[in-house]
Amino acid sequence: MNQQDSNARKNWVGQSLPRKEENRLLRGRGKFTDDIKRREMLYLSFVRSPYAHAKILNVDVSAAQALPGVVGTLTGAEIAPQTQPFIEIGPDPFARIKDYPLGVTKVRYQGEPVAAVVAESAALAEDAAELVQVEYEALDPVVDAEEALKDRSLLHEEAGTNRVWNGVFEYGDVEKAFKEAAHVVSIDRLHFHRFSSTPLENNVIIAEWNPKDERIYYSCNNSFPSFAIQFLAAHLNVHIDRIRVETFDIGGSFGIKITSYPQMAVCALVSKKAGGRPVKWVETRSEHLSSSAHGNERTFRDTRVALDKDGVITAVASRHIDDCGAYPRYEPLGCVIWSQVFPGVYRFKNARIDFSQAVTNKCPVGPNRGYSRMQHLWFLERVVDICAHELGIPPDEMRLRNYIRPEEFPYTTPNGCVYDSGNYPKMLDVAKQQIGWDDWKKKQAAARKEGRLIGIGIGTTLDSGTNNFGQSQIVNPGLPYSGNSQGANCKLDIYGEVVVAVGSCPQGQGHETTAAQVVADVLGIHPDMVTVRTGFDTERNVHTGFSGTYASQFAVSGLSAVHGAAQKLKAEMKRLGAFALQTNEGELEFGTGAEGPELRARTTGKSINYWGLANLVNANSAALPPDLYELTLNCRYIWRAPFKVPDKIKKYGNLTLTYASQLHIAVVEVERDTFIPRILDYIAVDDCGKVINPPIVEGQVYGATAHGIGAALMETCVYDAVGNMLTSTFSDYTPITAVNMPNVRYGHVETPSPHSYSGAKGMGEGGAAPVHTISAALQDALFAEGVIIDDSFNNGDRLFRAIVTREFGQAEKLVKVEKRL
Amino acid sequence: MAIKLGGEFEVRRALEEVFDFLTDPNRFAPLLPEFQGMSMQDATHFTVKVNVGVSYIKGIADVKLELSENQRPARAQYKGQGSVAGGTVAVTASFDLSHLDGVTKVNWQGEAQVFGRLASVAGGLLEPLGKKNVQKLINGLQTALAGQQPEPSAVPSAVPATEPPATEESGA
Repeated sequence: MNQQDSNARKNWVGQSLPRKEENRLLRGRGKFTDDIKRREMLYLSFVRSPYAHAKILNVDVSAAQALPGVVGTLTGAEIAPQTQPFIEIGPDPFARIKDYPLGVTKVRYQGEPVAAVVAESAALAEDAAELVQVEYEALDPVVDAEEALKDRSLLHEEAGTNRVWNGVFEYGDVEKAFKEAAHVVSIDRLHFHRFSSTPLENNVIIAEWNPKDERIYYSCNNSFPSFAIQFLAAHLNVHIDRIRVETFDIGGSFGIKITSYPQMAVCALVSKKAGGRPVKWVETRSEHLSSSAHGNERTFRDTRVALDKDGVITAVASRHIDDCGAYPRYEPLGCVIWSQVFPGVYRFKNARIDFSQAVTNKCPVGPNRGYSRMQHLWFLERVVDICAHELGIPPDEMRLRNYIRPEEFPYTTPNGCVYDSGNYPKMLDVAKQQIGWDDWKKKQAAARKEGRLIGIGIGTTLDSGTNNFGQSQIVNPGLPYSGNSQGANCKLDIYGEVVVAVGSCPQGQGHETTAAQVVADVLGIHPDMVTVRTGFDTERNVHTGFSGTYASQFAVSGLSAVHGAAQKLKAEMKRLGAFALQTNEGELEFGTGAEGPELRARTTGKSINYWGLANLVNANSAALPPDLYELTLNCRYIWRAPFKVPDKIKKYGNLTLTYASQLHIAVVEVERDTFIPRILDYIAVDDCGKVINPPIVEGQVYGATAHGIGAALMETCVYDAVGNMLTSTFSDYTPITAVNMPNVRYGHVETPSPHSYSGAKGMGEGGAAPVHTISAALQDALFAEGVIIDDSFNNGDRLFRAIVTREFGQAEKLVKVEKRL
Repeated sequence: MAIKLGGEFEVRRALEEVFDFLTDPNRFAPLLPEFQGMSMQDATHFTVKVNVGVSYIKGIADVKLELSENQRPARAQYKGQGSVAGGTVAVTASFDLSHLDGVTKVNWQGEAQVFGRLASVAGGLLEPLGKKNVQKLINGLQTALAGQQPEPSAVPSAVPATEPPATEESGA
């Protein structure tokens, strides 16, 4: 073996390699959209509604237009005649609503754009926007989803209702289970709060509607461009191939940059009006917090839980109301996506969930990290803890009695989802050992004697990855989507460099590194010899309608596509190598020689390096025999997930390919004087199957944990009664920072997935495990105070109002137990 | 968000005199804090320009006001709407007057409903700012009325109404 081969013989998948991306990002050499300056570029500023709900009576842009340096303005009234309303994913009656990127006749949330101004500088555009006079007639706002369902004040008159969607998910024999139950626990109301993500980089868009070729060019940080262009093409009345979207380095998305297509539409339309000059919009932090996208808010009503004499849950019945804000946009997909984790990590087979979604006069929601599933998983964890307490069963024991058992995998849920692998009892054991469960129990008992409020909570959760888009047909049977796919391209360029283009749109997840690891293993070379192109380009990158970075799927869909493309390239290289070295393919081996990566014949020792192979195809083709003309060394592969279309009537089928799991334990103290909760200890155990790159996985676990701790204790979108958002700056929204982060321990369990080629499962969203875990720990601390943690957000103020003024969470009002034995 | 304020003050002037003062925009409006100018549309409609400065939101607000109730000499009410960069404000101010032993007692109630970025980014500052400016207005009224009366008979008071501002988290 050559010396150079010593590294190449490693299996790079699974190695703790530094991220290739760090070289530029940590040295400030990343390229972000706002770094781009174009000739004759204009700057856009939005005029936004101060009202949550109002009629637009008049928009006067004359003063803004008169300001020197202002090039143009655009209003909703101008947009409506030249565009189509955005596509609605949901069925009638919400398919009838007219969603435009600027308010036309009404505004439906505070911060909704009603006009745009473009000028020679960003400052001028901002000044001019303040000169636009908009006359409104205020309407009654509705800021609560349950109130919205009463339809007293309609947001979209065309629909005739505020109810976006309703469906009943029922499996097993619920009535029988309740009839035979030993105990029935009823919980009146639980509420999952509205929060968002705070990426370092806000939305940034540059659009150019080029009058010469009538094409639209976008440079932006949208995180799901193949989805965005489908909406944009229909809205702008252009063929989808006439829209090009390029992304570069992206400073985080967490899902909420998926829904920036309305702003993308405005930028293009203003560019068109300005004669094709490029138009840049850089979102401010306040704009981002108040009017980009929030996570879904959800209320759980009238929950009933049937249990047997041992505390094993046999049935759950509940009514869930989801609040999607003013416009559905990505919704009502969230009305079915939660059912990917229908029973959570538990074995109950009988369940009935009546699920509704309503529009309210608040910022539209977007698929925020843990999208739709975290709300449901939080609900189930609250149910488990409340039932455990009422039945006098310790929370760890309660979970062990109800977890899906390791030997039951692959496990089919009541609604037909197939959990690929997992070992929840082992995760609990690892977490308890690492945090020192028994010691903490002793400390807790001693502290309670001193009157201290210390709680220990467990959160077990799932991160379902790689969607079956056929589930969209459960919310709207007319939709033409099913399955999932991803594309990748792997080639030897003309000088023999291995170049990979992925169909995903990375925002910090390390796709360049992990893709290089996969290709390096296939070709037997070092990952540094693989170049993975940065960013995404709808014209350059191979992609499908599902391409993008979302739903914890890159490790499965993205890397499967990369693996497939690399295999195809390898096969072509072998055919070519056999010809060049005058041997048969079985004689060839891949490796690294003195002149870099090469193919060589085992018996003769002859070799040809990658440049030689590429040269044969690209620059010396007269030497090729005709039967090799089909070789391109430029290989495209589309990976397709093995899904079927779910049963739309029964709402039954496999909705996701892999199920990573997380088990967190938190020890939390509520200070007696301030009621501020403090995390005393924290462990996060993760199982994402085969780990491609341990530091990347660990980093994602820390990131998701930080996001969840922030959501549980610090971050909430507060609206007042008339729909003003009161938390639209970092002074009020208070995102978590390194200063607020506790020292998080990390643990790892590995149950390889049988559903992916490598055994990996998609991960990164973390299932919002800290939200569940901190709620559980606070609950443990406060049961003795007669308080039920009925909300996912719990800062000092809220706990004060629960414990002292007793405005929230009073156990005697919220929970009833019927013990029949 | 809603800001509600209320209070009462007394002046040793005739009931009708106080009422006429309060319902005459030309005399009443200049007492508004940060008053910059006004224009009358008719006897009961007028527009006042006032300086607004809350946090980094600064500018001149045009407040369109209407004398919406005029029950001389017992009750008067102004209603209006103003706009400034980042927000709009709907205001209502009412005065209920009574007279006893040569002293006119003015019971006043004010409510401002604030919409938009003004509430979002400066909501926490608005109530104390509102209280401060109301106090200025009352002081101004007293001073102006004192110009016709050498010795004011009562110390003004500006106290919050019992209802707290609506800042609760929706749906919680």
